[in-house]
Amino acid sequence: MYLEIITPDKILFTGEIKIARLPGILGSFEVMKNHVPILSILSRGKIRVRQVNDVISYFLIQGGIVECSNNKVKVLVNE
Amino acid sequence: MANLKDIRIRIASVKSTQQVTSAMKMVSAAKLRKAQDAIIQIRPYAEKLNEVLISVSNNISSEVENKYATRKTSNKILIIAIASNRGLCGGFNSNVVKKTVELVTIQFKQQALKNNVDVITIGKKAADGLKSKGIKVIQNHVDFYDNITFNSVSELAQVIMDSYANGDYDHIELVYNQFKNAAVQNLVNEQYLPVTIARNKVEKLTKGEMKLAYLFEPSIYEIVSVIIPQSLKVQFFKAILDSVAAEHGARMTAMHKATDNAFDLIKELKLNYNKARQAAITNEILEIVSGANAMKS
Repeated sequence: MYLEIITPDKILFTGEIKIARLPGILGSFEVMKNHVPILSILSRGKIRVRQVNDVISYFLIQGGIVECSNNKVKVLVNE
Repeated sequence: MANLKDIRIRIASVKSTQQVTSAMKMVSAAKLRKAQDAIIQIRPYAEKLNEVLISVSNNISSEVENKYATRKTSNKILIIAIASNRGLCGGFNSNVVKKTVELVTIQFKQQALKNNVDVITIGKKAADGLKSKGIKVIQNHVDFYDNITFNSVSELAQVIMDSYANGDYDHIELVYNQFKNAAVQNLVNEQYLPVTIARNKVEKLTKGEMKLAYLFEPSIYEIVSVIIPQSLKVQFFKAILDSVAAEHGARMTAMHKATDNAFDLIKELKLNYNKARQAAITNEILEIVSGANAMKS
């Protein structure tokens, strides 16, 4: 599964991942392979990313939008 | 033939002007590169946001009610003219002023007669230019260019969007220079509000691709109410970045021309100077020779 985290100023993260936990506005949720196409709003919080080599990284965000389709996750972070 | 000393002073002054203009060109070239980088950085975000917006509007059957949508009447107009704080950049600022005047006096003539057209300027030169044309500027943002970040720009964008949502204005127009390349800037005026979602683009996409049944969380309407303001802010930010890059490009070209011109001027002056010097020498020799001849005879 491919993940992109983009802010207006720069690209924070791109790469293959196993799983990502996102701070959805209705509560935190996780995205794995073959997730159903989803469009959601993110609230302020942490994004937790487990990469293919099991390295876990965190990104602090102030809110944003996530789109997931065809095993591609795009996270548009407000800042 | 002009005085030798005068020409010498002239040459010295043109030379120092040339030094200044070529230095300014160099500075603009460096700043242009920075501004271009900023445009390149915003591009992926803007493109992705647009993609999301398109896939959302793919899933909307009818026009979603939102506070930035089209209104039937367009009584109150707001024009935002984006130019620069500094001059010496060719027609960059005056083009913005000209276009704004044109919009006020031709396109929005009806509203202007009723005093319903307001102008906000970004950049000192735009405000000065419009004032001299007799157009009232209600707001002028000059301290904007010191530090351009998405946050500082989106603050202003939010104020403008709020004034539309509150019903202070029914139509908002942006006037700015779009950056094409270092030598070419396109002056554009685009409708900022009400929002226009590219419908025809949507249809093109649906033909080739399978329509994805998205899960919307919490609901499509709430997503639209987040995405549209965000994309408006990005649009505004892009306009500002474009204008900044265009400004440096325009100044670079203008200064390049000025340097070339100074070079030509120096060449011409030097020729004149040499001619004058030669004439003076010839005159002197003539005097000596004729003096000697007079002594002989």
